[in-house]
Amino acid sequence: MRTKTAGISEFIQHKFVRTVQRIAAVLALILITVTVEAQEIDILLKGGHVIDPKNSINAKMDVAIVADKIFRVAANIPASLSKKTIDISGLYVTPGIIDMHAHVFHGADVNSISANSPGGLQADAFSFRAGVTTVVDAGSSGWRNFPLFKSQVIDRSQTRILAFLNVVGGGMVTRYDQQDVTDMNPEMNAYMIKKLHPTILVGIKSAHFWGDFRSVDKAVESGKLANVPVIVDFGEHSPPNSIESLFMEHFRPGDIFTHTFSEHAISETAGGRESIVDVKTRKVKPFVFAAQKRGIIFDVGHGAGAFNFNQAIPALKQGFMPNTISTDLYNLSMNAAMKDMTNVMSKFLAMGMGLQDVILRSTWNPAQVIKRPDLGHLSVGSEADIAVFNLKKGNFGYMDVRRTKISGTEKLEAELTLRAGRVVWDLNGISAPDWQMPAITN
Amino acid sequence: MNKLFNFKSSGSLLAAMPLMVVFMFFVSATQVKAQDIDLLLKGGHLIDAKNNIDRKMDVAVKAGKIFRVAADIPASSAKKVVDVSGLIVAPGLINMHTHVYAGSNPGFTDGTSSQLPDAFAPRAGITTVVDAGTSGWRTFPDFKAKIIDNSMTRVLAFLSIAASGYSVDKAQENIAEMDVQKTAETVNKYPDILVGVRIGRYDGTEWTPFDRASEAAKLVNKPLFVECHLPMYSLEDQLNRMRSGDIMTHAFENVSERMTVVDEQGKVRPFVLAAQKRGVLFDVGHGGGGFWFNQGIPAFKQGLWPNSFGTDEHRTSMNSGMKTMLNVMSKYLNMGMSLPDIIARGSWNAAKSIKREDLGNLSEGSVADIAVLSVAKGKFGFVDSGNNKIEGDKKLEAELTVRAGRIIWDLNGLAANAYK
Repeated sequence: MRTKTAGISEFIQHKFVRTVQRIAAVLALILITVTVEAQEIDILLKGGHVIDPKNSINAKMDVAIVADKIFRVAANIPASLSKKTIDISGLYVTPGIIDMHAHVFHGADVNSISANSPGGLQADAFSFRAGVTTVVDAGSSGWRNFPLFKSQVIDRSQTRILAFLNVVGGGMVTRYDQQDVTDMNPEMNAYMIKKLHPTILVGIKSAHFWGDFRSVDKAVESGKLANVPVIVDFGEHSPPNSIESLFMEHFRPGDIFTHTFSEHAISETAGGRESIVDVKTRKVKPFVFAAQKRGIIFDVGHGAGAFNFNQAIPALKQGFMPNTISTDLYNLSMNAAMKDMTNVMSKFLAMGMGLQDVILRSTWNPAQVIKRPDLGHLSVGSEADIAVFNLKKGNFGYMDVRRTKISGTEKLEAELTLRAGRVVWDLNGISAPDWQMPAITN
Repeated sequence: MNKLFNFKSSGSLLAAMPLMVVFMFFVSATQVKAQDIDLLLKGGHLIDAKNNIDRKMDVAVKAGKIFRVAADIPASSAKKVVDVSGLIVAPGLINMHTHVYAGSNPGFTDGTSSQLPDAFAPRAGITTVVDAGTSGWRTFPDFKAKIIDNSMTRVLAFLSIAASGYSVDKAQENIAEMDVQKTAETVNKYPDILVGVRIGRYDGTEWTPFDRASEAAKLVNKPLFVECHLPMYSLEDQLNRMRSGDIMTHAFENVSERMTVVDEQGKVRPFVLAAQKRGVLFDVGHGGGGFWFNQGIPAFKQGLWPNSFGTDEHRTSMNSGMKTMLNVMSKYLNMGMSLPDIIARGSWNAAKSIKREDLGNLSEGSVADIAVLSVAKGKFGFVDSGNNKIEGDKKLEAELTVRAGRIIWDLNGLAANAYK
């Protein structure tokens, strides 16, 4: 019995050991498999110079993508670990660019400025070829036509489209609609943002108001209820309103002043936007620095009429930098001095802003301003929205809205754009295999 | 004018004297103003196929028209001079295959698959786009009101034989709606815009749709434009039914919908070459699936050249291997076609094929539609519809685009004043 028992025991022990060995072997196999699988990178961007301001990276680094996410960012990730490797030596890699001010509620209503209008452009036609993966529509829709904007445009677009909701329920249809204070409904605006579309709607827009501060105040009231920022085009008040009052009394920290570098010939009778740089002394008004310190956000919003070197160049020289760079893309700006996001970014390079500052203001800064900290960086685990730029050297010209020109020696060009891990733009086919002439037989 | 100066029928010469005085006053006023050139493009290399020019020439624009083309036009005679030395000056380019009936519906007709003409044309040196049948006799008035009348780019169009044009629903294949008379009437009603008839999509085997489109085109004496989405028709039968001057687009595609022009042995099929000889024209119509190097390159080497560089831009082709018409033209530049041959196909050849000989040239008196292009040197890649790449060292870029004398695109601010 003992023996037998011992035998059984031995047998059991033996079997146990063998089982353990087997389990270990299987485990090891699983581990190896897992390791191998972990090494199955889908796309490896190799040899580029990464600028990722959020993560304080400004160095040569490889970027690995698995499925739709950033998998690893490190120096020298071996190409053997990846199914597909794209050689991007000599190029810059940045988070997918965020254009914080655009009009993309494209549609067929020719009598509308921006809502469901040909004045609003198709996001995909301008985004990827400029390295942009996220555009934020600046108030083309209001709470009443946002559902149409979503079904007609946002849901059919490859570009990620976020939006500021216009404080006016009907959105941006005509200049007259923008004056209708009775259609500014903070409860409905907040309801739309907070309850119905919190992943798309990032704030409230007030624009083109001719009167006092009511439009801004309704926007701020909506913004408070929904806990989102407001963005204000302060352009058409007649007589012009005080921007100091806007920044210091009406705005909350985090609220956004767009068209920062516009300069209009303004008078007490003709409406206009007070400029941030004094038109006589060419000095940035002191309260502007104080406002930025207070947390007011200054957005470029270039557009067809809102970027003037007379404002931007003195401001930059005096140490004032916009928080965010954006296009104000619409039908009248696309073929004028603005052109596209890379052109606007390059214009800031030409005015002396450093490349890292330009990228910061086109990625991580706008992401923070719209409270979308999941965007605008290349942290491991985040969605793989990536821009790869060629910094071209040569002689380039950049215009402002008055068609005056400065020259520059650099220009950003979007070589490769990835949206959620997919190549959506490839200027020179760097991700494509070489074509082979098929054998001709007789 | 003829009536005004028909003195015989209007009475005595005496009665015409005051008129003649007025006329002479106009002539002298014109001469004084003749020195007031609005825009002088100075120092560029002019390529104008119609006028057989391929050399350094200045181009003067006045009141929206080409006023003079000559070597060394003095800068002092112009209100505005733009230095275009080192650049190519060409007639405004013509994109033969677009879908620009952009709107709110799914699909192409008044739809979100179509793209606004001004979003793609000016930045590619294009001043005229031809819409490839996105509208039909029923939808054309809406297309005209919404898009054509509101665009800076000149928009011409082939009218689809399908009543709706190119909608996503099956209604477009309803033969009862393919009305030869209504199609011809619409083309005749808008002769300045409609340049031909298009047959675009039909899944059946009957030839009625094709024949009706062809008949309508014949009635209006304009070309038939044939797209590829006709899977039951053989390529040979289609070509056999096409007249001299008719246009086959997507010429170099390699998709299941249509037999390829190049056979499995890499040879252009003899009946394709025969059709070309007979005067059938071939448009690139690049699109998302319409241009393959394994078709385009052997065809080019064997003499089957495209007559025009239609891009077929739409929401899925625009960010693919196609990108812009200049990118499509640059493919041919790197495949070995000469720059004058490319410019000719992007302007004068295209204009002739749609019987718009007022366009695609820089003859004095013609509308001042001008493209100023640069040829960038470097290392470039070009991708086809199968995601295959060729490399190249030249690429066309639009520096300045002028439409009816007005600058509508200025990449580097060539025409702008320096900031002070």
